[in-house]
Amino acid sequence: MSLSLTLPALLVIPLVGVLLIALGARPKATALWTSILNLIPGFLASGVVLRSGELLFGPEPIPAREVFPAKFILGMDGLSLSMVWLTLVVTLAAIGSAREGIKREKEYYICLLLIGLGALGAFISVDLFYFFSFHEVALIPTFLLVGMWGHGDRSGAAWRMTVYLMLGSMILLVGLIGLYLALPETARSLDWRVLAESLRANPIAPGIQPILAALLLVGFGTLVSLVPFHSWAPGGYASAPAPAAMLHAGVLKKFGLYGLMRVALPMTPEGWKEISWIVGLLLAGNILYLGLAALQQRDFRWLLGFSSAMHMGTVFLGLISGTVLGLAGALTLMVGHGLSAALGFAVAGEMSRRTGTSWMRDLGGLARRTPQLWFYLMIAAMASIGLPGLANFAGEIMIFFGAWSAHPILVGVAAWGVVLSAVAMLRAVRAVAFGPMSPAVEAEGVLDLRGIRETWPFALLTLALLVVGLLPVVVYGPARPVLERLLSP
Amino acid sequence: MSGWFAPEILLTLAGVGLILVDAVAPESLRRRIPLLAMLGALGILGWSLCPESRGLPTGWANLFLSDGLTAIFKPFFLLCLVVVIGMASRYRLQADETVRGEFLALPFFPTAGLCLLVSARDFLAVFVALELVSISLYLLAAFHRARPASLEAGIKLLVMGGLSTGFLVMGIAWLYAGAGTTEFSKLLLSQAGQAANPAVLVAAGLILAGIGFKVAAVPFHAWAPDVYEGAPTPVTAYLAVASKAAGFILLLRIFGIGAFALDSVGSFFRPILLTLGIATVTLGTLAALPQRDLKRLLAYSGIAHAGFMILALGTRGEGGVGTVVAYLWAYLLASLPVLLFINEVERLHGNTDMRHLDGMGRREPGPSLGFTLCLISMAGLPPLVGFPVKLAVLANLWSAGETPALVVAVIMAVAGLGIYLTPIRVMYWEREADAIPSRRFPPFLIWVMLAAGLLNIWLGLQPRALVRLAEKAMNPLPIEEAIRR
Repeated sequence: MSLSLTLPALLVIPLVGVLLIALGARPKATALWTSILNLIPGFLASGVVLRSGELLFGPEPIPAREVFPAKFILGMDGLSLSMVWLTLVVTLAAIGSAREGIKREKEYYICLLLIGLGALGAFISVDLFYFFSFHEVALIPTFLLVGMWGHGDRSGAAWRMTVYLMLGSMILLVGLIGLYLALPETARSLDWRVLAESLRANPIAPGIQPILAALLLVGFGTLVSLVPFHSWAPGGYASAPAPAAMLHAGVLKKFGLYGLMRVALPMTPEGWKEISWIVGLLLAGNILYLGLAALQQRDFRWLLGFSSAMHMGTVFLGLISGTVLGLAGALTLMVGHGLSAALGFAVAGEMSRRTGTSWMRDLGGLARRTPQLWFYLMIAAMASIGLPGLANFAGEIMIFFGAWSAHPILVGVAAWGVVLSAVAMLRAVRAVAFGPMSPAVEAEGVLDLRGIRETWPFALLTLALLVVGLLPVVVYGPARPVLERLLSP
Repeated sequence: MSGWFAPEILLTLAGVGLILVDAVAPESLRRRIPLLAMLGALGILGWSLCPESRGLPTGWANLFLSDGLTAIFKPFFLLCLVVVIGMASRYRLQADETVRGEFLALPFFPTAGLCLLVSARDFLAVFVALELVSISLYLLAAFHRARPASLEAGIKLLVMGGLSTGFLVMGIAWLYAGAGTTEFSKLLLSQAGQAANPAVLVAAGLILAGIGFKVAAVPFHAWAPDVYEGAPTPVTAYLAVASKAAGFILLLRIFGIGAFALDSVGSFFRPILLTLGIATVTLGTLAALPQRDLKRLLAYSGIAHAGFMILALGTRGEGGVGTVVAYLWAYLLASLPVLLFINEVERLHGNTDMRHLDGMGRREPGPSLGFTLCLISMAGLPPLVGFPVKLAVLANLWSAGETPALVVAVIMAVAGLGIYLTPIRVMYWEREADAIPSRRFPPFLIWVMLAAGLLNIWLGLQPRALVRLAEKAMNPLPIEEAIRR
């Protein structure tokens, strides 16, 4: 048996889980076991990638030109490796932290599995057609998850989120079409490996590059919640049920950053130079404007939504740094942010499930009542602030050093972002921890996390944060050759 | 001489035969008419897939031809016929139950007309075929005499159809005056390399208006929502899919690859087509958003789809033509199951208001899932078949450099999501269905809808089948053939 079959297995296993649940298997157990089972092809594929640098599945690129050029090729290299692992871990934690007794369990777990499936598919697709398609697979399940099981203004949030993401996807699609058609007819390909080679041989005319770069920036940027296309994100995450917010903020949003890293930046380098001042302005907007907005939040879930969108600015800075160090930092921060956002939303979900509220002033004294939950809240907050030892710090520091020579002012802005983030998070932690016990917390039946059955998803995410934080080389090490290739002209 | 077994002839014979059976056969046989009609339609569909069925009687050669387009689209219309017959045999005619035989026999005639229409190589043949289609459809739209809405639909279709025929005939007359012929290839030869003749331009404009009514393009779309809503659902399905497709094939033949695609006429009409397309896609999408009746919603969504196809046609070159062919098939595969589902909703609840979908996702998970998949395919989201064809439209617009049209198409593709997500939302997350009578769908619907959904996914992931189809339709290109001759 060839090990390249592990790549389709990564997609088939969740699909089988979906089918089993649809046919009547126990939803939570099935979803959980498929996510655990999916770690096996993940391990095998990673082994090959670590040893030989790349793993491919699918037909070899055929030179003959076809009218419809897309081919179903799956591939994994050092860069997709960490994204795949982020997806596997967060999916597992999200399904693990989903609680029993939800209405319409069947559809709930099917939607969660489909989001994970879409993200995995996008991260291991080599062909732009399938890369884009797999991301869209997650769109409808997100719409249903937020709309059916959400909190607050769930209907409005679901529509806003879906329309924004769709608009971003369509603009992205136009950009990808333009990228494809910018090449001479014989050199066109949708396979990004071939595409990158072709573009090296036939650089796109400098007049078109900025247009393509701008389209890709707006397209991917909307998916990543870049200011001013961010307004779907905080409200959407605040309304989404916790596992959906974990998967979306933790994993799916990284699709946009991954696409920028893999496609947009290396393929239209001149264009990015021309519009880099716009990107700089927008990412400064992300850091400062959303950071200030996060300070004003009184609802913990909204705070997490804003702070999650805010950190995208720092990742963007790494992306436009133009250095391997900056890109490696961006990748590390993507993983760190994915894990810490997932942990944060998981904690927020538990808090509001136990107390019935996520208003911070109603959560006073929670630390005394539920010390374990409080501990994980601290971990998520500290990771988000950038405490050394947790993954985000490693990423941020690499970004700051990598971007210093090219964008010193933006590094200064990003440093202020760390301060804003720290103030916002510490205020939240103080409000929840100290002060008199509020009635919602004092109410009977507010219990702490109990036993391994309830704590393992939190522990898993914390462990991952610690591993990446103490040994960031596990993320950027395998990706380094890929990143160097992406940057080489 | 196998030409005498062309699907057109068999369809006419089958239709006449069914009417005769209904009139003279004993009661025991008459009760079997739905089965007979279905077998007839399936048989002709199967036959039309065989290459032997492609020949036409030699005497017809002046008016009709057989090429890639006919080979691809005769099965298309026959597939519509099969589904429509299936729907018609389950449609409740209430007081008009006695005329079920005619209701099942009549769809055979417009199908014969449509098959002739795609084979036509002369505007006179186009006119005759179109009249055969139109007159049968007037009857069918007004068939449910007990419902005033159905009568209204018939009258509206009659008036608007008459108007569109008027435009078409006037256009043909101007064409004859300007070019001296109405035969497609002669027209192509006489116009090739010539400067645009004003009479031909007027003719092309009038003909475009005439076909514009058929495909429900803005500003000739006003009849569609009322007629779709009023007509019996099987007839709505026929109008929405088969009749619209026929209009597009006609557009393809003359504006895509025929005489009006030549630079002399085409350079004048391409901007007009693009403008029409922009208007059509915008109005169709925006007007569909507030609809609460499923058939009306589908009418406006059909207008929006027509707009996308007109935009593809408005781009220069073969790419647009192939795109329309693939788009029509994708549209058929997504919208026929949707209409089938709506037909069953109407059978259970008496009308097609969207509130009947409340809680459907829980009561009927299988059909609802299939319905959802087909709707998402119509919205053009991957991994369903609606995505690659919409992608092709956008790619054509980009490579033709039509930025305004591209921008509108993108915005409307996004706004269009709202059209199709609304029924999905109603099915899955609106109030739970307590008060609704627990009448159930028939079991066959589960399998049909799920199979349709899977087909949409499969073709969405492997769109190469559609590309082959489009390539086959373009082979041989009539324009090349005519120049070679």
